[in-house]
Amino acid sequence: MIQDKPNTPTAPTFRWSDFFETWGGLIAFVALAAFCSLFPGTRDHFLNPENIRNIIHQNSFIGIIAIGMTFVIISGGIDLSVGSMAALIGGLSIYAMNKVIGGMESEWMGVVAACVAAPLIGMGLGLINGLLITKGRIAPFIVTLGGLAGYRSIILAMADGGEVRSSSMNLFEAISSPRNGIPLPAWHNAAGDQVSMSITWPIIIFLLMAVIAQVVLSHTRYGRYTIAVGSNETAARYSAINVDRVRIITYTLIGLCTGIAALLLSSRLNSVGASNTGNLFELDAIAAVVIGGTRMSGGKGRVWGTIIGVLILGMIDNVLVLADVSTYWQGLVKAGVIILAVLLQRSRSEN
Amino acid sequence: MACTTHRRLSLTTAALTLAALALPAWSAAENPATSSPAPVATENTVEQPTSAKLRIGISIPAADHGWTAGVVWWAKKAQELYPDVDFTLATATTPQKQISDIENMMVKGIDGLVVLATESAPITPIAKRAHERGIYIVNVDRGFLEPVADLFLEGDNKAFGRKSAQFMVDRLGGKGKIVILEGIPCTVNSDRVNAALEVFKQYPDIEILGQQPAMWNRQKGLEVMQTFLVKHKKIDAVWAQDDDIAMGAYKAIKEAGREKEMWMLGGAGMKEVVKMVMDGSAMFPANITYPPSMIATGIHMAVSNLRDGHRAPVSQFMPKHLMIDVELITPQNAKDYYFPDSVY
Repeated sequence: MIQDKPNTPTAPTFRWSDFFETWGGLIAFVALAAFCSLFPGTRDHFLNPENIRNIIHQNSFIGIIAIGMTFVIISGGIDLSVGSMAALIGGLSIYAMNKVIGGMESEWMGVVAACVAAPLIGMGLGLINGLLITKGRIAPFIVTLGGLAGYRSIILAMADGGEVRSSSMNLFEAISSPRNGIPLPAWHNAAGDQVSMSITWPIIIFLLMAVIAQVVLSHTRYGRYTIAVGSNETAARYSAINVDRVRIITYTLIGLCTGIAALLLSSRLNSVGASNTGNLFELDAIAAVVIGGTRMSGGKGRVWGTIIGVLILGMIDNVLVLADVSTYWQGLVKAGVIILAVLLQRSRSEN
Repeated sequence: MACTTHRRLSLTTAALTLAALALPAWSAAENPATSSPAPVATENTVEQPTSAKLRIGISIPAADHGWTAGVVWWAKKAQELYPDVDFTLATATTPQKQISDIENMMVKGIDGLVVLATESAPITPIAKRAHERGIYIVNVDRGFLEPVADLFLEGDNKAFGRKSAQFMVDRLGGKGKIVILEGIPCTVNSDRVNAALEVFKQYPDIEILGQQPAMWNRQKGLEVMQTFLVKHKKIDAVWAQDDDIAMGAYKAIKEAGREKEMWMLGGAGMKEVVKMVMDGSAMFPANITYPPSMIATGIHMAVSNLRDGHRAPVSQFMPKHLMIDVELITPQNAKDYYFPDSVY
């Protein structure tokens, strides 16, 4: 019923614009990676396995949120509240954990409490956003702009503007520590030293969620409905799709993603800075989704593109430091790569 | 009953709304000259005594990193000392917001204003207007472009950069490989970093391996340091200039198992770091103050210079410019800078 690619199946003629629309993000990714591997300022370190692991690990938190953002944007919405929400969820989970550790004197139970609390609080907050948008009939931009200010404000008030510190000594930190995870077989590097490295839990969770999300998007009824709602809401309504329900599920889903990301991130720092944790995450997540080829106005998109978007953003941050680019010029380099990546894959329909 | 409560509630709301709308009139009504008590509900519903309370406005940047959170905390702490003073505290993320905050305070009718400017230039005109109205202005940390403040309490960011860099050079014996972690690009950051670079440049054997922004933020400090550690096989010291950054970078160093190889100098006296200095940590041999409590100093000065008609006599001897020196925190004096219940 809903065709997200109206031309390609019947039209055998090859068009470069179609090719770039599909593969532009990937081409930009490969080109950037190739450039970083060859550029004199970065080539010595960029392909170092540890560096690559660091890039994916550091960006898995944003990546998990961006997966949820992909669904929201495909459904024709936007969520600006995720950064503040991550700080609030992280803070509340640490409070819950500290309470349990203090009360039951078991670090294990405390960490379990945080792991249970974070996704649930995230889904709860996402559900509130979804209900305000659908039942309250307020534009997603406004509702989540409110969330951006409001959630941050709650955690600032609770933490008195400072930091929420975990009382777990090692166990909570262990979840996101780069030392843990699934160990890769050890190898010898160029200098002859034996090197071992793990694929960390945040990376595993991020990639696993990406695979599940791509399957949900392209192979389930919910996924097809999300695309339908985003491409033409009125048509979706006439086709007896419960548009409100699809929307509510979408915002609850990004809440869940934010909850998981918040848990991993607060484990990474073993604390949450009420004032700065999650700052501008919403923009990074939206940028990743758009770089990945999802249409800003909804109705079309892909999770794997978002993953590429996240990695492109992460690679830029990484090579700026490796090449020691001056602080003031970093923004321009970033802007250039982002615009180029999107330019490569613009579709004719949007011109 | 339920109906009455509801009506009373809505009446109160209406009264509050009116009060908010008629703010200029409201403040005029509460002016000691007119002396008739205003019949509207005041925000804190405290009866105004016949002799008007001292009113002081405090305008500071919003907590967007650890140090500014410390400023907000100390501002609240100083207010608690003077329950008899009517304080208005506003935090601003941008100069635009700060200008409206100060305008609102002027409408409310303040006697004194304590300002830590988000940016110097845009806040100068509004400070000038307040000055022309006869409001006593204490300017903290970031100076105005014109001499409109009655008292300017300045933190010395250049000395911060100079002293911390000199400590690092001396401890390295004038020779070593260092990395520099910068804050959010702005005047404060440039003052610190440029002053430090001037010192480092005098020592040709000090090699700066990298210099990157870490946004006064723990996560950024961690991530940038991870990349530095991949890139540089040998680092002797890390000049981090802020303790949020330093804590993040410290984590990266620990995870890489390279604690023995290098040491670090943060700055601004975060309690965890001061504690480590106090305990003789090898990673943090020292720290440098840039006390967020300077806002409390400013509030205290404003109150004591204004109360009981002190303004005129005090102005005869009070200097117009006080520079707060930055001090090196070492294991010997660390206990004087350790505030375990502070947020920072």
